[in-house]
Amino acid sequence: MRRKLISALLCASMAAALMAGCGDSGKDAKETSTSKSESQEGTASSGSDSNTDFAGEELSIMVSAGWMDNRYDETIKRFEDTYDVTVDLQTIPADQYGDLLSSKLTTDSCADIFWIQSNPFAIASQIVDPEKYCIDFSDEEWKSLIPETRLSACEYEGKLYGLQIWHNSPEYVMVYNKTMFEEMNLKVPTTYEELLDVCQKISDEGVTPWFVPGADGWQHQLAFFQIGGAYEDDQPGLYEKLNNNEATFADNQLMIKVLEQYKELSDKGYFGEDWIGTDSTNMINEFGDRNVAMALANSSTIKQIKDETGTTDEFGLFLEPLGGNNSFPSSPAGPTMFGYKGTAHPELVKEFFRFVTTTESLQEILDNSPAYTNLHVNDDKLEQHWLPEEEEFMSTLTDEQMKTPVLQNGTKYTNDYWMQFGQDMVAYCTGQMEANDVLKNMDTNRAEAAKVAQDPAWN
Amino acid sequence: MRRKIQAVLKQIICIAMSIVVIAPFYMVFINSFKTKTEAARMSLSLPTEWLFSNYLEVIEKGRLVQGFVNSLTYALVATTVGVVSCAMGAFVMCRKRTKLNNFLYYFVLCGLFFPVNYVTLVKVLNVAGLANTKLGIIVAFTSAMIPFCIFTIRNFITSLPVELDEAAVIDGAGPVTMFFKIIVPMLKPTLVTCFILQFMGIWSDFLTPLYLSNKSSMFPMTIAVYQFFGKNKSYWNYIFADIMLTCLPVVIVYLLGQRYIVGGMTSGAVKE
Amino acid sequence: MNKKRIYPQWFLIVPLVLYILFFLTPSILGVFYSFTDWNARSLGETNFVGLQNYIEIFTSNKNYTSGIFNTLKFTVVSNIVKLIPALFIAIMLQEGLKGKNVYRTILYLPSILPFLIIGLTFKSIFNYNTGLLNSFLDALHLGFLKQKWLSDLGMVWKSIFGVDAWRGIGYVMTIFLAGLNTIPKSYYEAAEIDGANFWQRVRHITLPMLSGAIMINLVFGLTYGLKVFDIVYVLTNGGPGHATEVITTYAYQFYSTGQYGMSTALNSILLVITAVIGVVVVKVMSRQEVQQ
Repeated sequence: MRRKLISALLCASMAAALMAGCGDSGKDAKETSTSKSESQEGTASSGSDSNTDFAGEELSIMVSAGWMDNRYDETIKRFEDTYDVTVDLQTIPADQYGDLLSSKLTTDSCADIFWIQSNPFAIASQIVDPEKYCIDFSDEEWKSLIPETRLSACEYEGKLYGLQIWHNSPEYVMVYNKTMFEEMNLKVPTTYEELLDVCQKISDEGVTPWFVPGADGWQHQLAFFQIGGAYEDDQPGLYEKLNNNEATFADNQLMIKVLEQYKELSDKGYFGEDWIGTDSTNMINEFGDRNVAMALANSSTIKQIKDETGTTDEFGLFLEPLGGNNSFPSSPAGPTMFGYKGTAHPELVKEFFRFVTTTESLQEILDNSPAYTNLHVNDDKLEQHWLPEEEEFMSTLTDEQMKTPVLQNGTKYTNDYWMQFGQDMVAYCTGQMEANDVLKNMDTNRAEAAKVAQDPAWN
Repeated sequence: MRRKIQAVLKQIICIAMSIVVIAPFYMVFINSFKTKTEAARMSLSLPTEWLFSNYLEVIEKGRLVQGFVNSLTYALVATTVGVVSCAMGAFVMCRKRTKLNNFLYYFVLCGLFFPVNYVTLVKVLNVAGLANTKLGIIVAFTSAMIPFCIFTIRNFITSLPVELDEAAVIDGAGPVTMFFKIIVPMLKPTLVTCFILQFMGIWSDFLTPLYLSNKSSMFPMTIAVYQFFGKNKSYWNYIFADIMLTCLPVVIVYLLGQRYIVGGMTSGAVKE
Repeated sequence: MNKKRIYPQWFLIVPLVLYILFFLTPSILGVFYSFTDWNARSLGETNFVGLQNYIEIFTSNKNYTSGIFNTLKFTVVSNIVKLIPALFIAIMLQEGLKGKNVYRTILYLPSILPFLIIGLTFKSIFNYNTGLLNSFLDALHLGFLKQKWLSDLGMVWKSIFGVDAWRGIGYVMTIFLAGLNTIPKSYYEAAEIDGANFWQRVRHITLPMLSGAIMINLVFGLTYGLKVFDIVYVLTNGGPGHATEVITTYAYQFYSTGQYGMSTALNSILLVITAVIGVVVVKVMSRQEVQQ
């Protein structure tokens, strides 16, 4: 009896799969035939109405799950309806995205539109040959939309390839519980010594002073890199020297000092009992439960804490004080869209970029991204939703404090070894490595990348 | 008396082990009905409110229906083709032990040790015109299971008496009829075992389809879980609900076929 | 009897062609690339660099050899941790226990789950503050036993072996059970009459009669152990720091930074190690087969 049941089930499921297969191929066939007739019509009518008839075409977009939530959904839906096309949005697991993209580019099978986490050097090091892979958008009107500071992450050798729509909120500065600070009579720390003192007092109350999600693998090293301004202030011209292979990470006294400070905080338990094994999953709850007092996070975290936990505490922002840092982590970087040159329908790709950059679309994208309060684009008609905490914090900053970009985006090849550096940092904090060896590894890796990119400064 | 105590002790050990095995499943199950904030705490307590809607949300957002059909197609077709063709190959390798066939057997067995390289695999599929097709994914899966299947099935065939084949042929059956009518029924335990093990392997593997496809309509079910991860936001309630749904089919296949697994995995190699 | 007629050689064609074209060819191409400077940026042009990649692996200050050592360590320990308990559980179940089939079904269950899901689940279980394990210890007032399961250097390997055993014991046990099924009960009865105790029975009857099952478990266990990637990747990704790096996690790192040549070189080293061990095992196996 049971055997019969099994075979019946197997048969049924196989039949289902077969039918599904048939259905699919049937649909494919239909699609190709319609698109064929469509394209014939297209050529027939192209004399009068050029390049606007995209009906039936399919546009594929490849993006990492780490950069994408639902904020493009409505815009994409509208695009589909407007042009009678289908958009295939492929959200790729974040830890696979980089590998997959380079594999797709090397095997000439990339999606029509792809994204990279871009900074002024990323096009050269991640796409390598934009001339070969990317559509040139230099003549597009939306170029004027991209702010001057972000343009360098979208251009290569004077040509515009990418479109960066990102927000300008303070990213990875110290978020702290203002109410708790007031209750404990604490002042916002501006030096490392003050930070130690504050941490000790918070720790005495049984609260974790600084929440560090080390298990995520990409967050804990932010503390080292976001204070690029401090390294540059300490040794003016450092970035330029690093980019010309005239300076190294290794033996940089301030960098070593920052790593030592970091380890001291870790050793004293100020990051919590087990920061290396903690991921960010529960960060919002920990803030809401008053289990932690500070974290290196985005300003939008404040909004999330208030919305999701129902706490009545007030929160604020301050600059990370490691290494005596006094500058704001300016970051001309963000997820950036590119058009794939090998696409079968370049005009449709261009149309998509135009469509996304209309005020209507931008507003839609901003309104649909709960985590962001603004978009950093030159569009006065756009209605931004800045938080009062953000405005208060930003108003205390001077231009001088904002002029140096963060270390990973201001120096070449550094960001490519983000994860390795993070692992080395943990190795240092757990006594498997020396501080200077962590820095030496970064030099070795950057030299490797420079060699591959045939950078004249290294050869 | 002593035996009784022993029996009770054994039961206690087994129950304890079963609890250890089941506890994580229970945690996943219970948290899949909670709200996002509640699920992030990962506790074993019952949800304050049972959110069955999590499942609907996951099915819709993760496009699970399509993923399910894809996973099922890859797993069923690749495993069926792989197991049947390996059975035929292993049969001849085992029965006709020429020098060539022995060499071929060990030659295939080497495959157990080789690592997969996706970039070169894509290049080869490109040349064959199979890149970015469902067929290409199926071919890749089938090829990868060949060493394991040949190894397991051949071991089993050695335990079958040769006289059966000969009798069948004398009765006038051709090799194909003989194989499917006489041999396959006897191979059933090992074939079902190979089928189940490979089916489950393909079901869990999301890297191969990811590298070999260029449309999200070709993605398998397992990828969907990543939809609910992102920087600063992990929807653990959805992740757990997705885990439940993704595991359900393999658990069913396993429960249906499990009684074969014990017999099929070894009966050939474990001889009296 | 005409062997050609009953056992047609063309039965071999499908598996052989598929295997050679779509499994072996990509793998061998991969080995070939380990002698080049192939990388994500070199596009079509790759240069032959001889043994340079290999030399770098063994001389680099980044200690890739620890990855090789850890791989061997994982192979040995994970197999011991699974094989011995699995054998005893199998014997226990075989000796006629109420609910034997239920237990067998439950214990096998973890091995059918995707690694990705096992990783996600156990990472949350191991969480220091909210995880199931530490909360459980707290509830039992055993707080002093709480551990940083995945971030303490002395603990992390134990946690990995634990999860691996959780996942794999049922599989190994099932193979043992199949072997035990074939041992005639009369052997044990005779031994009992002779007054043999439990250990003597295991040593003189069970183990020799189980050699086939043990061999299968060893072959699968060795290839699994040497090629280990998923369980380490999903639990620690080689961390904390580099404490649990194995060959494949290093290879994966090269792969993700686009150094395909280095990545395939590491994989080729793994291939050589596995092949050497594999040849030995297969030799032993084929000798056994001849003896039977």
